[in-house]
Amino acid sequence: MKISEKIPSSLERIPSFISTIIERIRPLGIPEEEIFNIRLSLEEALVNAVKYGNKLDPQLTVEVKVQLDSDKLVIEVKDQGEGFDFEKLEDPTKEENIEKVRGRGIFLMKNLMDEVIFKEKGSRVIMIKFLRREA
Amino acid sequence: MKIREEKQGEVLIYALEGEVNINTSPELRKAFDKIIREGQKKVIVDFSEISYIDSSGLATLIEMYQRLKKNGGRLRLCAMGEKVRSVFEITKLVKLFEIFPNLTEALEGF
Repeated sequence: MKISEKIPSSLERIPSFISTIIERIRPLGIPEEEIFNIRLSLEEALVNAVKYGNKLDPQLTVEVKVQLDSDKLVIEVKDQGEGFDFEKLEDPTKEENIEKVRGRGIFLMKNLMDEVIFKEKGSRVIMIKFLRREA
Repeated sequence: MKIREEKQGEVLIYALEGEVNINTSPELRKAFDKIIREGQKKVIVDFSEISYIDSSGLATLIEMYQRLKKNGGRLRLCAMGEKVRSVFEITKLVKLFEIFPNLTEALEGF
């Protein structure tokens, strides 16, 4: 199964867009406990793309590709921004960072998905979840 | 997201219902602004009817924790479902917040 969509740079549209994606993949045998993790990772990636990548510019879009194979789900989110230094992210769980208000989105993505790969200076993120499919 | 407000003695209980996401976090922030304006010191957020939270929701709760602390108040969280609690565990926010299994225990000794 493949999905390819472009969405406008609007934070308000993100939850309803994610719901449509989740409703399409949920019946395909992905365990329910993984649906929460996939949904949260997708939301964090989309918020980053819209807010920090495209800087909420209504002229810019975010491209989302979802591919579900027999053993894995691959989600790709690409914005039209300049990227960011994804190798210089602070660990939000360290004592000196634990009260910081921001900086947990990518950390959650990395912990909830099996692989998170940044490309094109960080303006494209690929998230992979290896699946144990339910009958 | 719905917010149900209840007062038990000096303690204000905010029972949330639905999801805390990028769209609903601003509503929660506004509700917390009201708590600060009213000078409430003891606040419990009841998560029993919350099915989802994202990093914007975590950010809103951290802000509230800091604002209450600054005013000499305290924030307690309670009754999280397994998936919501896992978000606090992964981010190690279980070390920052006082989290209780249910409302009764959150109220004890507050």
